[in-house]
Amino acid sequence: MVTSEEIERVSKLMKIDVQDHKEYVDKVHSMIDFFDVLDSAGVGSEEISMQEISISDLRKDEHIAFDGKLIEKLNHYKGTYVRAPKMSS
Amino acid sequence: MTMIGLEIHCQLTNLQSKLFCTCKANYREFKINENICPVCMGLPGSLPRLNQEAVKKATMIAMALNCSTPEKIAFFRKNYFYPDSPKNFQITQLNIYGDTSVGGTGSIMVGDKKIKITRIQLEEDPGRLIYEGSSSKNQITLVDYNRAGTPLVEIVTEPDFENPKQVRDFLNILSDLLANLGVADPSLEGAMRADANVSIKGGKKVEIKNIGSFHDLEKAVHFEITRQESLHSRDIEIIQETRHWDDQRKITVSSRSKEEELDYRYFLEGDIPWIRIDSDVHQKLKSEMPESISSKKKRYISKYNIPPQVADVLSSDKFYSDMFEKAHTESNAKEVANIITTELMGLVDTREKRIASKLTFTHLKELADSIQSGKVSRSSSKNALHEILKTGKDLSVIIAELDLGNVSDESELSEIITHVISEESQAVEQAKSNPQTINYLVGKVMQKTKGKADPTLTLNLLKKQIGIS
Amino acid sequence: MNLKISALEYIQEVQNGNISAEDFVAKTLERIQSIDEKLHAFLSVNDKAVEQARQIDKKIKSGDKVGECFGMPISIKDNMCIKDNKTTCASKMLKDFVAPYDATVISKLKQQDAIFVGKANMDEFAMGLTTEFSAFGPSSNPWNTDYVPGGSSGGSAASVSAFECVASLGSDTGGSVRNPASFCSVVGYKPTYGLISRYGLISYANSIEQIGPLTRTVKDTAFMLNLISGLDPNDNTTINNQDQDYLLGIDLGIEGKKIGIIKEMLGDGTSAEVRSATKDAISKMEGLGAICEEVSLDMVKYSVAAYYTITATEAGSNLARYDNLRYGYDFSVEGYEFNSYISKARQMFGPEVKRRMIIGGFVPSAGQAGKYFLKALKVKNKLTREISETFKKFDLLIAPTVPILPFKKGEKIDDPVALFQVDINTVTANLTGRPAISVPFAMSNGLPIGMQLIADSNQDKLLLQAAHALEQTVTLPEVPI
Repeated sequence: MVTSEEIERVSKLMKIDVQDHKEYVDKVHSMIDFFDVLDSAGVGSEEISMQEISISDLRKDEHIAFDGKLIEKLNHYKGTYVRAPKMSS
Repeated sequence: MTMIGLEIHCQLTNLQSKLFCTCKANYREFKINENICPVCMGLPGSLPRLNQEAVKKATMIAMALNCSTPEKIAFFRKNYFYPDSPKNFQITQLNIYGDTSVGGTGSIMVGDKKIKITRIQLEEDPGRLIYEGSSSKNQITLVDYNRAGTPLVEIVTEPDFENPKQVRDFLNILSDLLANLGVADPSLEGAMRADANVSIKGGKKVEIKNIGSFHDLEKAVHFEITRQESLHSRDIEIIQETRHWDDQRKITVSSRSKEEELDYRYFLEGDIPWIRIDSDVHQKLKSEMPESISSKKKRYISKYNIPPQVADVLSSDKFYSDMFEKAHTESNAKEVANIITTELMGLVDTREKRIASKLTFTHLKELADSIQSGKVSRSSSKNALHEILKTGKDLSVIIAELDLGNVSDESELSEIITHVISEESQAVEQAKSNPQTINYLVGKVMQKTKGKADPTLTLNLLKKQIGIS
Repeated sequence: MNLKISALEYIQEVQNGNISAEDFVAKTLERIQSIDEKLHAFLSVNDKAVEQARQIDKKIKSGDKVGECFGMPISIKDNMCIKDNKTTCASKMLKDFVAPYDATVISKLKQQDAIFVGKANMDEFAMGLTTEFSAFGPSSNPWNTDYVPGGSSGGSAASVSAFECVASLGSDTGGSVRNPASFCSVVGYKPTYGLISRYGLISYANSIEQIGPLTRTVKDTAFMLNLISGLDPNDNTTINNQDQDYLLGIDLGIEGKKIGIIKEMLGDGTSAEVRSATKDAISKMEGLGAICEEVSLDMVKYSVAAYYTITATEAGSNLARYDNLRYGYDFSVEGYEFNSYISKARQMFGPEVKRRMIIGGFVPSAGQAGKYFLKALKVKNKLTREISETFKKFDLLIAPTVPILPFKKGEKIDDPVALFQVDINTVTANLTGRPAISVPFAMSNGLPIGMQLIADSNQDKLLLQAAHALEQTVTLPEVPI
């Protein structure tokens, strides 16, 4: 069971404002409920694995600057700091 | 019993590029936000490209700290929101699916104390924040991403330290070790940072973050121990928490739990496959590793008969040991070591001075040879060294220009000695009866020659002229 | 001028001098002008397209080297970066974002003288199955505009199907290329994971998604694959495909090939029309010399739950970067505190994206990871082992792309779990990294049914051969729009 408090906690964690609580809780609840089917998959002993490459396939260490002034193409910052809101504490 | 553990972050500033992109690893020379690209800015659609040399260097560090080095390493995401983190997650390493970070358990000796290493991991540095405006309401956070993506090696120790002094000694040893490996320059501002965790009498562990320098680290640890002991003595509970170091007030302060049990939702970084480091790569790295400090020290003592104190200084500073390695010969080794650890040291005690110095190993070799052959006296060599550092001119040129050459021409010296003898008849008589006092006469000859007389030759000629053996 | 030709036919015509790129592209833009109001396949149209085509004609005339596309008009799903162009992911969050670099696939196509005629509509951040979650309005199915075109690459599929372009690039995370391809009666391809570079593809679930072409014929897809596949230093997850030529030998046929019919993908949720189409496809394959046999992939039952758990987790992380600080829309930080600014800025996400973010925060969280996220990863692992074992006995696998017929707009949008189930036949290929293709196969009351083939990793060439063979067994009606 997913409680309203848990939705609240997760929404703070993900920085997603949850406005109409009830509808959210219901829909999210039903989606997560659906995932409960995983419990019957019998995969307890499975390992986690992934694609693998050799260290020799990795990028060589060289300095190549980006072509152009990137900061000026983002949000009108012209060679200056990016502005962020004040941090609490 | 006090238990202190450390988390040290070391920037791999000797690399050419960042951990996941080709922007420069050492960001310090750039103007604000000019060392960035779509990858380190986390732009939509960008992907990380892992730096091969960074993995190698990190593995070397692990080897130097006697850590296990796994055959396969993996990267994970640590998810949290912060303006200095362009993706709002950090790509780092963890050991939740077996040993997958670049170094496993290891250890290093700090004097007689063995400090265990928990793990070594490779991760990216975030950007830098500064604050604009003082009024709390209107304050803006300013972000410079030049540093975002700089390769970091994190070294985590077990809480094996018992006091702040051990911590300080360890940090010195570690800095020297990392400089010696050629992976980083610990003297660069911000290149090495550390967090600590402190607990007393086996109690709750308190983490201390936001410590700006190693100097502050010692202070912070000391303060925290005192704080905890004070609480303990008054039977007040020590809360397990994270505190930050307030540099202004020189105290640790509780970080408001706005962090709210931060849940990082760690999972494997899907854009970077597991990296296989075969045993032949490990072997090659081992063989390429620069000689360790302790090995150098042993070698200097046993092979060149250099006194342990001198060997200590020489081996632990890469700048000096590099100089020594290139400048010395079988015959002048001791002299080179001596010059470095007595005269040179005072002249190159800062990063700036070392960068500005024009001294080459050829200079050093020639200087040592000249002192040994008597061409230049020890006191003159001091002046010569000064001049070389400043101008970089050839030793012979400097000797000529400053007239530093020893007077070693026998006839010239004999003449001067004859003069002195005639002027100091009392001293001569004394010397005949008490040979120890001959040094006064040697001194007089030195005065007359402005310190350039070859001391050994002077002594011999004096004795001969006076008629003592 | 006939726009109803395949990519290879177009290239042939231009090379022979029968048509000019400029004329064709101009006619294409006219077509877009006249029908896209109904379809809304495009979010933006390239007004320089005709001029660019003109330049290519010049190159052809002067005998200069021309790229293999010869000015072919292509649409690009709006989650791939084209330098100096808006790339919105059909989201208000990125409505003003102008990409400062080209995706690798875009660079490659530019080099081959393709022309990007516009950015195609999609479900917001690729999360969806119907393109109804686009923040800028849904797209319609060209076969019946009351129906959804599928998703999330709905605009791509609709534009190819309705002759608004010759080919398209979409992205497939759980069926997002194959599903709309099936609904719109075009070919939709998801390659082996790592075959096509994702550099410049705005991430949704990076461990399983791939860019894939949507085309009118299987040969066209092979042609596109030749141009855009291969190792890319900008993407550490790309694999070396040894410069394969996917067109070479594409009509070799499927004589003697063993094809497994996936039992779990023809379960109770399959509609009668789809079931009978599948039976028909199987007998056609047998007629071409293949040996078809039922096979069971037990983990398919859990694949949808695993898929949504994993993708929500990855999406929650991949979309964290959208905090409006470095790029985004106009919303000043003055006077705000960090947490409240970020939460407010992210209100621009649509409701489905928000739901996925909440789930993506929940299922890997410290207290829940063991129950949900880790289990899902283990299901992925087991499913991968199962399918590997299966491919020891079979060369290919077959199943309908979607178990049901295309449905009307608005029909499933309020029931997320019901919508999940539409993916049941497609997520397996993504979770296991296997290549899969949807081939237009049948019609039912004017609504398309696509047939899906799956091959083992790096068997893309074989897959295309089989798909081509299947494609040749049917003749389908022309799109009515």
